[in-house]
Amino acid sequence: MSILLKRAATRRSVLRGLLGGGAVSLALPFLDCFLDGNGEALAAGGAIPVRFGTWYWGMGHTPGHAVKDRADVGEIQFLEECKALIPLRQHINYFNGFSAPLDGRSNSPHRTGWVASRTGVVPPIGDEILAPTLDVLVADAISGGTRFRNLDVTSTGNPIDIYTARSNFSRGTAEVSPVGFYARLFGGDFVDPNRGEFKPDPRVMVEKSVLSGLVEESKSLAGKLGASDRARLDEYFTSIRQLENQLALQLEKPPANEMCKVPASPRDVDGERAPTGVEIEAVHETHRLMTELLVMAVACNQTKVFNMAYSDNFSKLRHAGETYTHHTLTHEEPTDVKLGYQPTAFWFNCKTMEGCADFINAFAKTREGAGSLLDNVLIFAASETSYARIHAVDNLPMMTFGKAGGRVKTGLHVPGRGDPITRVGFTCLRAMGLPLDSWGAKSLRVTKPISEILV
Amino acid sequence: MHLWGPAAAFVSAVVCSVTGSAADRGRTLGFAVTNWDTAIYESRFEDECPEGLTPSNEENWLRGLSQADRARFTSKGSGGYGNRPTRRGANGENVCHFPTSAVDPPLLEAEGKLSYGINLDGTQDGKATAKSCAHEKFQGVDGTPAVDNQMYRLLGCTYGWRHYGIVDINADGQRKANGLGLILIEVRNVDDLQNDDDVEVAFYRSIDRVAVDGSASPLPYGTYRIDTVNGVPRYGSVVKGKIVKGELITQPANVNLPFYGNYTFIEQRFRDLSLHLEIDPSGEHAKGTIAGYYDVEQLWDYIRGLSLTSTHQYSCPAVFTALKKLADGYPDASGQCTHISSAFLVKAVNGFIQHPTESKISEASRGKTSSNGGRVSAEN
Amino acid sequence: MALASCGADEPKIAGAAPTMRRLTEEQFRNSIADAFGADIKLGVKLEPLLRTGGLVALGAQHASVTPFGVEKLHQLAKSVASQVVDPQHRRTLVACGPTDPSAFDEACASQFFVRVGRSLYRRPLTEAELKARIESAAAATATLGDFYRGLGSSLTAMLMGPKFLYLIETTEPDPERPGSVRLDAYAKASRLSFFMWNAAPDNALLDAAARGDLDASSGLARQVDRMLASVRLEDGLRGFFADAFGFDQFETLEKDAIIYPVFNLQVAEDAAEQLLLTLNDVLIVRGEDYRNIFTTRHSFISAALARVYRVEAPNPTGWAPYEFPAGDPRVGIQSQVAFTALHSHPGKSSPTLRGKAVRELLLCQKIPEPPADVDFSKFNDPQSPLKTARLRLAMHTEQAACAGCHKLTDPIGLGLEKFDGVGQLRITEQGEPIDPSGDLDGAKFADAADFAKALSTNPASTSCVVNRLFGYGVGRVPSRQDQPVLDYLQQVFASDGYRYRALLQRVATSKAFFAVTSEAAGVAAQLAPSEAKGAP
Repeated sequence: MSILLKRAATRRSVLRGLLGGGAVSLALPFLDCFLDGNGEALAAGGAIPVRFGTWYWGMGHTPGHAVKDRADVGEIQFLEECKALIPLRQHINYFNGFSAPLDGRSNSPHRTGWVASRTGVVPPIGDEILAPTLDVLVADAISGGTRFRNLDVTSTGNPIDIYTARSNFSRGTAEVSPVGFYARLFGGDFVDPNRGEFKPDPRVMVEKSVLSGLVEESKSLAGKLGASDRARLDEYFTSIRQLENQLALQLEKPPANEMCKVPASPRDVDGERAPTGVEIEAVHETHRLMTELLVMAVACNQTKVFNMAYSDNFSKLRHAGETYTHHTLTHEEPTDVKLGYQPTAFWFNCKTMEGCADFINAFAKTREGAGSLLDNVLIFAASETSYARIHAVDNLPMMTFGKAGGRVKTGLHVPGRGDPITRVGFTCLRAMGLPLDSWGAKSLRVTKPISEILV
Repeated sequence: MHLWGPAAAFVSAVVCSVTGSAADRGRTLGFAVTNWDTAIYESRFEDECPEGLTPSNEENWLRGLSQADRARFTSKGSGGYGNRPTRRGANGENVCHFPTSAVDPPLLEAEGKLSYGINLDGTQDGKATAKSCAHEKFQGVDGTPAVDNQMYRLLGCTYGWRHYGIVDINADGQRKANGLGLILIEVRNVDDLQNDDDVEVAFYRSIDRVAVDGSASPLPYGTYRIDTVNGVPRYGSVVKGKIVKGELITQPANVNLPFYGNYTFIEQRFRDLSLHLEIDPSGEHAKGTIAGYYDVEQLWDYIRGLSLTSTHQYSCPAVFTALKKLADGYPDASGQCTHISSAFLVKAVNGFIQHPTESKISEASRGKTSSNGGRVSAEN
Repeated sequence: MALASCGADEPKIAGAAPTMRRLTEEQFRNSIADAFGADIKLGVKLEPLLRTGGLVALGAQHASVTPFGVEKLHQLAKSVASQVVDPQHRRTLVACGPTDPSAFDEACASQFFVRVGRSLYRRPLTEAELKARIESAAAATATLGDFYRGLGSSLTAMLMGPKFLYLIETTEPDPERPGSVRLDAYAKASRLSFFMWNAAPDNALLDAAARGDLDASSGLARQVDRMLASVRLEDGLRGFFADAFGFDQFETLEKDAIIYPVFNLQVAEDAAEQLLLTLNDVLIVRGEDYRNIFTTRHSFISAALARVYRVEAPNPTGWAPYEFPAGDPRVGIQSQVAFTALHSHPGKSSPTLRGKAVRELLLCQKIPEPPADVDFSKFNDPQSPLKTARLRLAMHTEQAACAGCHKLTDPIGLGLEKFDGVGQLRITEQGEPIDPSGDLDGAKFADAADFAKALSTNPASTSCVVNRLFGYGVGRVPSRQDQPVLDYLQQVFASDGYRYRALLQRVATSKAFFAVTSEAAGVAAQLAPSEAKGAP
């Protein structure tokens, strides 16, 4: 029933800080913003798409040992559990202190958290999916024209350990084998962008011609207007022409991409079959191999959307020869009074974050345009619990990696102050340009992206 | 401490907060119980549990396996052996449903000297009386001599119940998340919040959940509707009480209280229940103890249901045996006691308790920094 | 509708040049919903407008569209168009089509654009416009091989085109004043409709325009009465007051979670809704004196708000009417959370911000920006022996640079000091009793209830709503030459007993409401040039 005149934060945020530190953006005269994010993209010759991914890990973080809590938005201070992320913190945003109100539905341990954070809807039971996961929404919006609508990968060896679904009955299935993944990506159907032929997308052709017609048809208006209104109309036409130029770029053959190099098959590298299983050492290695392949698939424009799971939501990770899995340890292992945490479960969490660092690094070290591939992706990472020991879903740890082509600032720790966890996913959706003004249902419905991380 | 009266004029607030005033007479206060935790007293682990934590169904099962079987079952982690730890009765029975179908080493009882609780049987030495079986006494944590809390003796060395144990954390979390089984406490006829020798306390079940802030702490001043059947409260025990130096103390009485937690609903049937509740100066929060004799059958029903996960770490046969042995209240014809002395630590937040008819609306307990109440508009 | 008679005649004014206004966010949304149904989802938002002359809606008069704005508009238009022609909606929204969906159906396309065009352009399409839409759809159908997607492509262009996005007022020669122009009938219909309903004209209004009814005072009066009687009047009220009372600030409203744990997004949303429900109740449902909005004890309350007000929620699952009891300082909209929380700092109340908001939003007076070199250290010192805001603010009088403005704001805001930074009632600040006495333009008051009386009897409170509403209606900041009409409207507002509905009727049927000069007349002198730069 609310009729609030809600204003979106845009890339063009000015007067920041005037109103309670929030972002206020205004429609400024055209010349003022000619050289903002769009200008940069145009100056670079276009054609570097922004891609979206997710990274999943099970069992959350140990509260108080992963990151130093903050009251306000500012630098991230990773603690021992996230030691591996310290050198990469300039690429990361960390989010905690968000809440997951369940609206009377019960917390289904290890399921509610991931479903709520990725779909915006609390599952009525178990991991029932009532809305698509955010990667599906992004893929629907940006995956036109790429070979794979999305690529889903898991390191656990179990294809169902992936956290993407269009509906309850349409769930993602993940690649589990590096060898199989390689064959799918770089096997027979692969067209090297440095050599391949280019076919323009008819939809873009139509969009462009419709815009040209629009300009033609509207020109007669100018004669009826006073001088100042005519100037405003001219600015509008100039903006339309910018959009036409962007569409024109999409109709041209993409520039050769020297960073796209077909990698060697994992079988060739290892000489024998890649490791499998839930022993953490094997998972770690699988994750590293799959990540390398995934990064090259993204660099070669094979997909614009991807999902990776390091471990599952009931983390089956274990040490060779030990009875308890990571999940069981989080419940059964006594808390070491001096350390303040469960030492072995904590060790698994640390190792998981090393995997996380591998993942970020793989994107960061791949050059693209003037920067790295990581600069042109946005990756949403979240677990399903905040503190696995008690199945807490409030305070869920979430991160983003990458700058989304300059749309997102990084290196920030954003305390949620009890806002719904969906604000993070919603911010990602908005950063990816999705035309949504709200996301999520009931108490998880949010209308405000986190303006502090949007450029 | 002073709390506002419903009709207190705002301008005169500061004046009338200094001493009790006519405005305070006959007030009704409302609270919602946010935390309901088994009162497990913990100090030095070795003083209370010198032999360690009680072994679990799983451990008892693993101990009974050959080395080869153990290796076979554990090679895939704990997920590899399913429900075998509980299905280990002589003929494959589930030992939590048929606790006498297997014999485990005895449960390890809490052996400390101190405990939460109150003196329920009236004796100083715990010898049998007409309404109690012989048992050992504790010294109260607050120094009270001869308190009874056999439930602590039963559960004090079990992983799932010790401090931060997952049983109560899970149950509190679930009630917070879904509002099921939420206890409401209504205190009536309060004339003086410091000392009042005659107040009335009613217990209800709420159908609204507690609103929480961003850090999941309960928020005061919520409104709670009473769960009713055909217009009559489903729960509604009423007891007499008094306020002594700001602490509410009720007279022992048989009281039924709702409970939900760990996916289980229970109507908790207490005998000789008494409530001790301290309200903080803001009037917004309260904490205290509920003590009384707990129905043994109900406790067993709850505990055996929990056994489906391994995280609580106890043996069903051992708990069953110990429960019968430790039960200390209300012997049946055979002399076997049917109740066990118990204590629970409770935390509550203030709120407005909305009765099925509008004629009775509890005022939220409030401190001197808050407003007086409004009224429901006539058009409602 | 019957009105109390009034001796004064409406003074004649020249008016100003016709406007070209970008649709506001709400107007855009309402137009889409009216044309295609409320279930069409709109994702991104338009670029925000710059608040001008106290209203965001008046920023529309100066707004252009940036390249990023066009990108968003493109997404929005594509999204709406694809929904309109999707299999679920096309049955009702297109309602015709070729047997072979890959073939173009000119008759169907024509039928579609005639209907949709009238709704989106707020007038019938010209022949050339219709032809262009059909040709565009035909070409797209040929490329894409799908009639409906072709139709959608052509619709996309309409939705992002200036003829929809901008309210471009057109004129025609005025037969009564040879050599002069008047707004044409469709421009009049749009002015009326956006003024009263915050939406594009409905079919009945467009029909009236087509018949020429709006050019005659009797025909105009009939339409105005019809619109006043409609339930959509509430949309108009919400659009105007949410704008005039600065609700766009809710977008950036944040509170410290440790100091005010009770505050969350739900509270913010409900607070805004509470104030709008109150206004609708007092002004439309009960039809009371406008000044009662400052003194009413009657309101509506939700469960989330009840926790902030610390009262029982009559309806724990929704909204319910609620009356604050006599003696309670909750009197008038200025005591509601939407006002007290919005005009506070994230962690504390602010008599200055509240005083400024009263001046600027409720009384239409301009408070200058603070000087750049102001020293806040004493005011913000947590160790300060000065426990209450009143004592700390007294320091402003010691600094000449501050005293001038703060004496305009602080004595007002101090009247609301018993409401903390989220609007919860309190009696003390850091243990010191709060003194809520103050002064509004010489009217001394003892507390918030007393302040409500002072506010309601301040002449600026009624002239403010008249000036804002007139500007909102004509789509421009009132100029000096409008002053006689504003004075006249103020006079009839008083003689009508300050009834809001009557004021709407007076404005909508006034000659001044439609008065325009030819475009060449240029921009008239502004009534308050400082305001045009934008109130905060």
